[in-house]
Amino acid sequence: MTPDARTEILARVRGASRGAPADSVRRELAGLGSAPAADPPAADLATAFLANVLRNRGTVDCARNRSEAVKAVGDYLYRQLRSQRLVAGNDPNLAAMPWRDSGLLPRFGELEPGAPAALSYARLGVAETGAVVTFTGKGNPAANNLLPAYHIVLVASDTVVPTMEEAWQWIGEEMAATGRPRGINFIAGPSSTADIEGQLVYGAHGPHSWHVILMGEEVPADALERARAIAGP
Amino acid sequence: MKQNSEAFLDQAHDALQDSAKVRRRELMASFTPLARDAAMDSFGKFEALRNHVKRVRQHALDNLGHYLVQFEQEALANGNRVHFARDSAEMNSIVLNICQQHGARRIAKGKSMVTEETGLNDYLQKAGLAVTETDLGEYIIQQAGETPSHIVGPALHKSAAEIRELFLARHDLGERSLETTADLVGEARTILRQHFLDAEVGIIGANALIAENGYSMLVTNEGNGDLCANLPTVLIVCTTVDRILPRAEDATAMLRLLVRSATGQPQTCYTSFYSGPRRESDLDGPLEAHIVLLDNRRTEIMAGDYREMLECIRCGACLNHCPIYASVGGHSYGWVYPGPMGSVLTPLLTSLEKSHLLPNACTACGRCAEVCPAGIPLPDLLRDLRRDETAAKLSPSRWRLGMRLHAWLARHPRLYHRLTGLGIPLLHRLGRTRGSFRRLPMADGWTSQRDFPAPQSGTFMQQYRKAARRRGARRPQ
Repeated sequence: MTPDARTEILARVRGASRGAPADSVRRELAGLGSAPAADPPAADLATAFLANVLRNRGTVDCARNRSEAVKAVGDYLYRQLRSQRLVAGNDPNLAAMPWRDSGLLPRFGELEPGAPAALSYARLGVAETGAVVTFTGKGNPAANNLLPAYHIVLVASDTVVPTMEEAWQWIGEEMAATGRPRGINFIAGPSSTADIEGQLVYGAHGPHSWHVILMGEEVPADALERARAIAGP
Repeated sequence: MKQNSEAFLDQAHDALQDSAKVRRRELMASFTPLARDAAMDSFGKFEALRNHVKRVRQHALDNLGHYLVQFEQEALANGNRVHFARDSAEMNSIVLNICQQHGARRIAKGKSMVTEETGLNDYLQKAGLAVTETDLGEYIIQQAGETPSHIVGPALHKSAAEIRELFLARHDLGERSLETTADLVGEARTILRQHFLDAEVGIIGANALIAENGYSMLVTNEGNGDLCANLPTVLIVCTTVDRILPRAEDATAMLRLLVRSATGQPQTCYTSFYSGPRRESDLDGPLEAHIVLLDNRRTEIMAGDYREMLECIRCGACLNHCPIYASVGGHSYGWVYPGPMGSVLTPLLTSLEKSHLLPNACTACGRCAEVCPAGIPLPDLLRDLRRDETAAKLSPSRWRLGMRLHAWLARHPRLYHRLTGLGIPLLHRLGRTRGSFRRLPMADGWTSQRDFPAPQSGTFMQQYRKAARRRGARRPQ
């Protein structure tokens, strides 16, 4: 800590900025309005969200309820890995899933190096960008997002918001109620890199496969089909 | 980082001799703008978004005294230690101090142009620390002992074949093929995974700092920066005072522009917001988190005529759209930031004396200003720097004499018209048969690469008068 550097830099910053009182700064900022967001690719949120997840090179599935959701997790694991090995954070939402219906039970905790698959329960889905939002903490240790080859994310359809502004609205309320999480992660695709000759390769460091399961009664029956048509091949 | 901008002309000349690299740069310059344009077209509200973000950025800079203090308070409340560094040396020594306090030997680093600017890796390595760059592009150039050629894709100047040779030489892994790009990425992943798990300190940059809650935004596609921020026990965020935005929603509004401009995606695979060390109930995350805020002449820029340059969001679109950058490549510029943004920033962050050639590396085509998501009038700033260069007598005296002659002539219109009225028709007559010149006296630098088109007939003014006379003759009818 070098207090003189702080004093000196703050003095220079103040010398080059206005020094208006806090409430007039707030008023001016409020007067700037809000940013335009991207138009959704479909009218209903579920379809728009799914289409953008597909565009981000994720794979998707829909489940009407929690029982179907755990079955979808089991099917995915079997299809990809012929395995039932799965790690999930200590999220009450995940602990309360009817795992009996799927014939698999995750190990709850942090992913150990080498484990192939992890399951996260998203706080939010963002339709605008096809992103899922997770908070770090006991419910979702960061390694579970970043280290497995397969990252599966459950998203409750009533937590899908249209834009990033609405995501912050929700996150702000959540932080006011339960405090600030260490990390907030917006994830929109499997880990990728184009650093060699501009060629896109998946699985740069973290997951090469990112599977999103949208869960809820109100997801239209044809949402998946329409999302696929919008996203194209 | 060591600066070599004084040798720009020689470096550019040498870069143009390597035809394989010239072709690769041409290829990159043809497809990177397509990705950006397609993303902006499908977004459809580029101008409105750019204007909004610009107003917010200007507001943030106008009130930076307010927001910097707010950010510091919030970051401290989140459990961080906040450091201020006046220059590169101060940032480097703060970072080394933190590492030494923890007895750290191994550092995992996310991509950070700020630490390229301060030469942090060299400094830490000289003190005996093992520093590993974990962004694939940065890792490749670190292994090759090179510097970044692009602020977003630092190793795009290297071919897959060169990277294959490099990995075979540097990684002691026995016989293997490494034929595809995916093989190369896979090998780097395996090697870097161990570095992430072993590192005691993680160092990352920040794409934005949020004043209202003290979080910093980190934007990556690989997730390497997130591994640096989450696995080691100590986290150091190296960033600069001008990255501060008022609200979280301002950071994601900027994100809409940043990612589309850089890669054509609506959002990167990982956009993360980190607040500090682990909470009491957390199982993971760093035990200690530091934020180092570097000035390095940014407050000076803020107080001067080039303040708008601080609104740059480091997307690289101006590089991708610049014909000079495409021709000579990033290394010719001789420092951290190449292309149009670099030609403005380098003189401001280092000195005009050492880098006055860079603002001349511009055709004034205006593409950079057209695509700049921060709405920075780059060609105007480059012109202003050329004016400063002339005022400081840094340009060759021959140029300055030429400019003075031209200025004098331009202020004497009669003489000007008489002289051009002699010269242009002469060129017209000489070039009539071919329509162009292969060589011209005193202009072989220009004609060595292209033909000079012959003027069609007289000067513009001569033709204008002729046309006016014709119209005048017709009008009475």
